[in-house]
This record gives sequence, C-alpha cells and structure tokens, in this order.
Amino acid sequence: MLGAAVLSLVARAEASPEDILGYGARSSAMAGTGAALANDYEAAYTGPALLSRIRTPRLSLGLQEAVFDLHARGEGLPDRVSVLPAKGVLIGVDLPLPFGGVLKDRVSGALAFYTPTDVIVRGRILYPETPQFPLLPDRTQCLAIRLGVGADLGYGFRVGAGFAALAEIVGSVLVATDATGRVGSRVEDQLVATYAPIASVSYEHAAGPGTLRVGATVRGSLDARFAVSIDATKLSSLNIPVFNIAGLAQYDPLEVAAEIGWENAAWHLAAGFTVKHWSAYPGAIEPTILCPSDTPDCGALQPTHLEFHDTVVPRAAVERTVPLSKSASLSVRGGYFFEPTPAPSSLATSYAYDIGARGLVPVPTRFFDASRHVLTAGLGLRLTKPLVLTVDAYAQLHVLHPRTVTLESSAPELATTADLSGTVLATGFVVGVGF
Amino acid sequence: MRRHLLALTVLAGTLAAAPRAEANPLDTFGFGSRGTAMGGAQAADVSDYSAGYYNPAGLARARGVEIGIGYFRVDHFLKTNGNDNHVDPVKGLVGGVVVPGKLLGIPFAFGLALHLPDDRISRVRALRQEQPRWELFDNRNQRLYLAANVAVSPWPWLQLGGGLSFMSSTEGRLDITGSANIFNAQQSQLRHEVDATLTAVRYPQVGARIALGKRAALALVYRGQFSLALDLRARLYGDISQLTTAYYALQSDSVNAFLPQQVVFGSSWEPVDHVRVNADLTWVQWSAYVAPVAHLDVDLSIPPPQGGWPAGITPPSKPTSTAIEPLTLHDRVIPHVGVEWQFLDLPHWQAFARGGYEYSKTPFPAQSGLTNYIDRDRHSFSLGAGVRWVHPGEVLAGDVRLDVHAQWSVLPEQITTKTDPADLVGDYSAGGHLWNVGLSTAVGF
Repeated sequence: MLGAAVLSLVARAEASPEDILGYGARSSAMAGTGAALANDYEAAYTGPALLSRIRTPRLSLGLQEAVFDLHARGEGLPDRVSVLPAKGVLIGVDLPLPFGGVLKDRVSGALAFYTPTDVIVRGRILYPETPQFPLLPDRTQCLAIRLGVGADLGYGFRVGAGFAALAEIVGSVLVATDATGRVGSRVEDQLVATYAPIASVSYEHAAGPGTLRVGATVRGSLDARFAVSIDATKLSSLNIPVFNIAGLAQYDPLEVAAEIGWENAAWHLAAGFTVKHWSAYPGAIEPTILCPSDTPDCGALQPTHLEFHDTVVPRAAVERTVPLSKSASLSVRGGYFFEPTPAPSSLATSYAYDIGARGLVPVPTRFFDASRHVLTAGLGLRLTKPLVLTVDAYAQLHVLHPRTVTLESSAPELATTADLSGTVLATGFVVGVGF
Repeated sequence: MRRHLLALTVLAGTLAAAPRAEANPLDTFGFGSRGTAMGGAQAADVSDYSAGYYNPAGLARARGVEIGIGYFRVDHFLKTNGNDNHVDPVKGLVGGVVVPGKLLGIPFAFGLALHLPDDRISRVRALRQEQPRWELFDNRNQRLYLAANVAVSPWPWLQLGGGLSFMSSTEGRLDITGSANIFNAQQSQLRHEVDATLTAVRYPQVGARIALGKRAALALVYRGQFSLALDLRARLYGDISQLTTAYYALQSDSVNAFLPQQVVFGSSWEPVDHVRVNADLTWVQWSAYVAPVAHLDVDLSIPPPQGGWPAGITPPSKPTSTAIEPLTLHDRVIPHVGVEWQFLDLPHWQAFARGGYEYSKTPFPAQSGLTNYIDRDRHSFSLGAGVRWVHPGEVLAGDVRLDVHAQWSVLPEQITTKTDPADLVGDYSAGGHLWNVGLSTAVGF
C-alpha cells in the first residue's frame, strides 16, 4: 500500500549527483551498488527495501567534491572545456521505527540529503555551438532530497518505497510603460516541487557461510525545468514577441537497477546492472518563441533535437572487513562500473540568425559526452565504544573513453569532428554518529 | 565535563554554521495545531516535532521516536475600499520527525520540521512600489519551511538546541539573440541561453529551556534574519525585421520574503493539575526590513532605420531608472498567550481543550506618501482540541495524537490618507479578517 501511495504521487522527476557519483561514502566506494547490499540511509537511493535492515538511529554528515578535467579537440574547439568543481554536503538519517509485536524490527526509514555548498540547482542551457558536456558537471550541481521506508516481510523478502524531491523554476517578467511614460516591472518567480518515486524489492537466503541476496530498484525520471516568460510587448508600439526562456535544467532518466550480493561478517560482494531509459530525453533547450497550438510550424526558430539511446551500466564491487579490536573494525572497498554514453556519435546541425548575413546560418551542435570507465575505492572505520561512530571515505576516478564525434553541417563535406577525452575525480567522506 | 562539551559543541556548531536567517508562514499562522490553538505560545512547553520551529531545545524532551503530519489552510478576507483583494490562501502540509536517543550517556535528539505549501515551494514577487499590496500577507507567506535541529539535555532541568533552516535565492542570466519580426512576431528567428542558479540560503536558530520545578519553565529562542533574493539579467541583441539593430538589457534585483531576526522569551506554568498556561513575548527587528521592490535598470538602443520607422510604429525611448522610496519599519514586541485544559484523563485516553490570543501591532508607518504597503494591527483568537490514545496495543507502545485548531484574526479597518491630493492611488480604507483551520496527527513510538 505504501508503495502504491508513493508511486501514485507524481510520475516524473529527480536529482543527478547520485546518478553520476552514487550516494553515500560506502555505495560510492563500491561502484554505486547497494540494491542488494545497503544497510543504512544510502538505501533511500540504492534500494529502499534494505532500509528495513536499520536497527539503531544514526545521524551522518559528510562532504563530497568532484573535479572535472574534460577535453574536446578539433576545429574551433578550446581543448580543455572549463567547468567548475562540484562540492556538496551529505546528510543522512537512519530512522528505525520501534514498533512492537509482529512489526518489531521490521520497519525502518531514512532521510538522505545532498546539497551543493553554493547552489541548490544550477540550470545552464547554453547556445549549442558552445562546447559543453551537459550530462556531467551541471548535473552534479543539484540538491537531492530523498525519503524512504522499508519493511521486512519475512521469508527473506523485503520491500521498500520512497521519493525524491527537487525544485524547478517558473516565472515571469512583465515590463511596461505606464501612462506617465515611466518604465515599471512585475517580476515573479516560483519554485515548484517535483517528485520522483523509487521502489525496490529484495530476497535473501542463506548460502554457505553467508547470505545471498538479490535486489531490484526502480527510480522515476527527473524533469526539472526552467521556464520564465518575458513580456515587453507593452513597452512600446513595437510588436515584439513574448520570449519563452525555457529549458530542462536537470534530467535523470527512468532507471531499473538489478543486483546480486553475497555477504558475511568479513566479505561483501556485489554485481549488477542499471538500465537507463535515456531515449525519453526530451532535449535541454526549448524554442524562444512558442508557436500557437493550431500553427505548430509558425516559422519560429526551433532548436535541434538530439536522439539519445538507452544504456546499460554494469557494476561490480567488493568489501573486506577486518576487526581491529572488540569494538572497532576496518573495511576496505573497491569497485568498477562502466557508464556508456547515451549521446549520438553524430551531432545534427543547429541554426542561428546571423545579423551580417541577415538570415539563418548553420552552427555546430557541441553537446559532448563520452562513455566512462569508473574505478572506485574506499575505507570505512566503525567504532562501537565509547559511542557508535562510523567514518567512511571514498574516491572515484572516471576516465572518459576516447571518442570522436561528428559535428554535422549544412553539407556533408563541411562536417568537422571533435575528439573527446578527460577524467573526473570525486572524493568524499561521511561521519556517522549512532544514538 | 562531557556534558559541557557536548552542549557547547551543539550551540557553537549551529551558531557558526550560517550567516543569516528565518521563517514566514509559521510566524504568522503557527506550526502544528496545538501550537496554533495556543496562540503560538510554545517556546517553554513544546516537546514534539513542532519544536523544530518554536524552540529546538524542546526536541530533547521527546520520550520516543515521533512522526507527525498535518494540514492547514488560511483564507484571507482582506479588503480595500470595501473590495476584496483576493489575497491567495496559504495552505499545505506540516509535519516532522523527532528521533531521541543518548550520546555519550546524555539525552540527545534530532528533529526535522517541514511546511510544504500545496502550490509552490516559494514565490518571489517584485512589484512597483506604488502598487497597493498587503505586504505581510500577499506573498511573503508563500514559501516552504524546512529546518533540521539537534538538541541535548545535559541536566534534567536544562535543554539546549539549535539548527538550520533552508531556502534558496534565485539568480538568472538570460541572453536572447537573433531577429525579431515586428510584422509577424511568431516568425521571429530568436534563440536563447540561460544560466540560472538557485543559491542555498541557510539560517540558524537556537534555543534553551530551563525547568523551574515540575510545574514551570522558561525559554529563550533566537531566530536569525533571512531574505530571498531574485536577481535577473536579460540581454536581447539582434535585428528588427532587417530594419535596424536593437540592443536591450534588463537588470532586475530584488529582495523578497524578508524576515527580521527575532528573540522569543517564553514561559509555561501549570498552576493546578491538568491546566497549563503559556505566555511568550517575541521581539521582532522589523527596522531592518528591506522593501521588496525591484531595482530595475533598462538599457535600450534602437537606432532608427534608414528612411525612418514604418507608419504606426513608435520605438520605445530609453527609460529612466525608478528611485526607490526608503521604507523604515518599527521594531515590535508581540505577546502570545495560550491555555490548555486536560479535561479527560483515562488510562488509555486523554483529551484537551485549548485557547490562545496573539496581538501583532503593525510595524509599517502610515502610508501617506508614494508607497502603498498595506498592513493593520492584527488580533488573533484561537481555539483547539486534542485527543491522545495512549498505548494503543502491542504493535505500538507509544501513543497516537490528533489535534485540531481554528484561528480567527481580525485587522480593524482604518483609512490611509495621502498627503498629496494628486496621488495616483489616493486615500483608501483597508481592513479585514483571516480564518486559519487545520489538524495535526502524530504517532509516538
């Protein structure tokens, strides 16, 4: 019933930093796995069913940073594409719900936050000829709020559900001249909440000296727009149009993650894959002039639409835990995943009005992206006395698989190419206190 | 020593965390049905999720994990010259969670408090300063409240708490280029570029509660200053129907939803069994208020085409910037009183009746000049009731609570008289009332 309620909320939406880097220090160190292994607030993203494994309240706080070194080489390209690093704060709350009777130790919840230190959401929709990696740096500049609940049904089955929340901007600017000839304005800006459902299920069974678990998670898609209309039609008798300044500030596709894991006191092993429904990507930019619904092809300039394709991300990870004393243990983690690019290898031409030529001219579409090989590693220290304290750290190295994309033009012989490469280095740590 | 260190760490952490601060709809309408029904007099008496707003120190008094959720709706019946001004209602969910435990043997608690409006997370609106508007009701209450707090109780008679509230400001840069067709606007060959950022705004709140025996308590709460900025830059560069080239730049900067810093002194007293009387005084530094008027700069350059403009078209001339009228508000002390009577006390059932009053004197000076920030003194009368089901069964060892409230606020009608007989708006009367109804439920484990 809980799952149905959550799924019935809103069908679309949500955040991106965790889609690129994973969520939490343990999952990020283990290649973003967790649908079959998580045991704390990280499960609010990786698989809410496993929230039911939480037994004690815990408050976690951490920092995370990702540095981008992205290159695009070719005619008219700058080589290094300058982007700002992404820095943020992680907050996690483990929340066991202390029911009694048949529900004793069966239901738990969690809250999971990621907030960039400087911004909540950054929506950059640049002219298509500007060299850019739209699926990487800006997608990490985004607030993520997640809430989930998991329940242990018995017989090895667990189910869980939750949602993620994000904000999108809707606004208007009205500029007009009043009867006295003075210019005035009315500026209105609203943040509107968007929600994305998440649901998961897992099954576990004793296998040898440990437990074998399979888990599957479905995450709804992200759709956070930026839409501001500028109406200066009453500024003068010039018949200028209303400007539709709109686009997609953040987007995560619908995802389905499946994973198998095995664990005992010393070892945790996980492998799985995530299917991402990128073919539903609507494109980042919208037309500046909206055509009437009865005249969809009114002659206004239309942005070029790129056809993305679905991707499958394979993952594998391992964790080794060794006791340091009766009240302390150390975990060493590592993993690998491969993130294929959903972007096409040939980018269709865009068009822009050229004042000198007094007409539309073709411009290259430089929306770059490349597949990534991602190596992950991390350490975790756990103390149980004098207080329950966990310290986890991780590092990820994303290596862009070298790629050459074709930048189409008005004629095939005018097409150029861009050679893409680069790395992303992400690091972070989280300190948790049980109470 | 351990207790001192933990308490100091909590306070220092929250004080050092953020520079500015605070909440809006909850200041005006309360948070949770019990608090609203008692006139907002809660600083020394709160122990549920609403402590996240009234006094974070109260979280340390929670007896177990608690999850609460509720809903309220405020309808405005505010009029000028007898005409309803159709101020948007304020409505949405309220809720929160409290997770108590022990840290190094000392009672510790973490809490989240949330007000999520139905229609939007926040709305920032900048109007011309001459335009009449109910300044404290028209837009400022259309926003989310989200706060995270921690609290400790180093001794049974002392609770300390603090945390952060979160909101965001908006910055945007828009660039539009191409060709505008003034003969057929929809055939304009324009495109745009956007760089928009929601900037995080975090603001602190801290509180303390001291128990004076079993029947009385005092509290002190500080809430910081807060505002939302809306800064927009727009540039249009292109040709106009191949007649001429135009450059148009707009820069609009405004501050919205400003909430001044506040200090609350609270008290709670149980003179006889089952009757509790609360009284709070809230000092509000309204004198720091920033008018929500956009500083607008427009730069326009449209040289006439060769042969002049076509007949019937008059291009706009470069506008002059608007001078913002200074606005100075007065600091205020707002009294809140509330009474709760437990009229039913059975082993598994308890029931409560509540009442409260709040008087908020307007901080705005008489609007006799160019501006029209309408406000009036506000008297708020509230009533409420609650039931508590204790230890419902084996599955739930705690309790289940249900509280309801109704609040009526009246703003006596007064006439605003303009000093300039040629004022474009002229004299007007303004006043009205508000209805605030809602319910809250909570489950304690």
